[in-house]
Amino acid sequence: MKCELYEGLFAGWINNELKPAERETLEQHLNGCAACREELASMQQLWAMMDEVEVPEPSASMKTDFTAMLNDFKAAEANKKGSSAGIRQQLGWLLQWRQKWPLAYTFAIVLVSFGCGYLFFNLKGGSKQDAQMAALTTQVHELKQTMALALLENPSASERIRGVSYTTEIKHADKEVIDALLATLNNDPNVNVRLSTLDALTHLAGHPEVRQGLVQSITTQDSPLMQSAIADVMLKLQEKSSVKSFKELLKQKDLDHGVRDKIKETITQLI
Amino acid sequence: MLKVKAGDLDKMALLFERYHRPLYGFLFHMTYQRETSEDLVQQVFYKMLKYRETFTATGEFVHWMYSIARNTLKDQGKSLKQRVKHENTDDHAERLSGGLTPEEQLERKQAKLGLYRAMEKLSDSHREVLTLSKFQELKYQEIAQILDISEIAVKTRAHRAMQELKSIYERAER
Repeated sequence: MKCELYEGLFAGWINNELKPAERETLEQHLNGCAACREELASMQQLWAMMDEVEVPEPSASMKTDFTAMLNDFKAAEANKKGSSAGIRQQLGWLLQWRQKWPLAYTFAIVLVSFGCGYLFFNLKGGSKQDAQMAALTTQVHELKQTMALALLENPSASERIRGVSYTTEIKHADKEVIDALLATLNNDPNVNVRLSTLDALTHLAGHPEVRQGLVQSITTQDSPLMQSAIADVMLKLQEKSSVKSFKELLKQKDLDHGVRDKIKETITQLI
Repeated sequence: MLKVKAGDLDKMALLFERYHRPLYGFLFHMTYQRETSEDLVQQVFYKMLKYRETFTATGEFVHWMYSIARNTLKDQGKSLKQRVKHENTDDHAERLSGGLTPEEQLERKQAKLGLYRAMEKLSDSHREVLTLSKFQELKYQEIAQILDISEIAVKTRAHRAMQELKSIYERAER
C-alpha cells in the first residue's frame, strides 16, 4: 500500500479512534516507513501544541448576565402561567379573539342551538328541561353581553355600532354594559357610533343611572347632530332635570343656531 | 436538563456552571472574538431555556447544546465574517508566555502564535471538527451526532483538517 493511504489514519491514531485492525495495519506500516513515522510525529507534535493554545477567561459579567437572563425568563414564564400578571398576554389574546369574534359568535350560537334542540327533543321531565333551558338562556345572554362589550372596543366604527345594537338585545343590562355604553356615548370619536349609542341608551332609560348619565352627557357633546338628538330624547323621556344642563349648553357661544332654537323649544316644553 | 424541561428552571443555573466554559471555549475557537463568544454563550443558554421541550431524554445534553451552538453560529455567521478576525490575536499572544528563559519563551510564543494564526485560517468546518475533538474532548461518534454526519465522515474530515492545519502552519514557519 502507498503511504497516502495510511496517512488517512494518522488523525484517528492520534485521537485514539482507530479500530484494532486499522491500528495494527498502520503500526506495521510505520515500522517499515521512516517518512510516515516522521510525518506522524510532526502531526502529533502539532496536536500536542494545540493544548497550549489558550482560550481567554470569560469575563465575570457572563455569569451575572446569565443570572439576569434566567430571572427574566422565569418571570416571563410565570406571567404566561399566572392569569393575573400576564396582562400583555391577555390583551394579545383579546385582540386576536376580537378579530375572530363574528365567526366565533356564529359558531357558538350554532352550538347552543344544537344543544337546545338536543335537550328539547331528548329530555323528558319538564322541570329539569326548564331549568336547563333557563341555564342555556342565561349562557346565551352572557355571551351576547360579553360580545357586545368586546365589540365596543373595536377599532372599526361599524363594528362598534354592531356592538351597540347587540346591547339592545340584552334584556337585563347590568352596570357593566351601561357604563360601557355611557363611556362610548361620551368618548367615541365617531358621531354615528355615538348616535346609535344614544338610541340604545334610550331603551335602557328605565335605569336611573342611564338617565343621569344622559343628562350629564348633554354638555360634553359638541356635535350639533348629537345635541339635537339628545334634546329629542330628553323630551321623549320628559326628563326635567336636564333643563339645567341645556341652559348651560345655551351659554356656549359657538353653539349652532338651529340647535340653539331647538334647545330653547325643548326647555319650554319640558318646563 | 430533564428537570429543566419539567419546569424546574433553576436547574439551568447548574448546567450553566458546569458547561459554560467548554461552550465558551468552542465558540471562542469558532469566532476568535471574546465578546462575541460571550454573547453567543448567552444566546445558546437562552435558546436552551426557550426550546427546552425539544430536548429528548435519549440524547446527551452536551450534544444537544453543541447542536444549538452550531445553529446559533450559523445564524450569526454572515455578520461575523464581515468583521476583522485578527482583532485580538496580539493581545492573546501576550498571555501565552510561561516560565521559561527569554529566548525559549520567545520561540515558544512565536510557535504558538503561528499555530494560533494557522487555526484562524482553517476553514470553519475543519476548525469545528478539530475543536470538538481536541478541546471539547469528544469522541468521533459524538461529533458525528452533533454534526449529523457519519462517523467515517468525521474521521476523514478530522484527517483533512489536521493536514490543512499542518500545511498552513508549516508554510507560515518557513
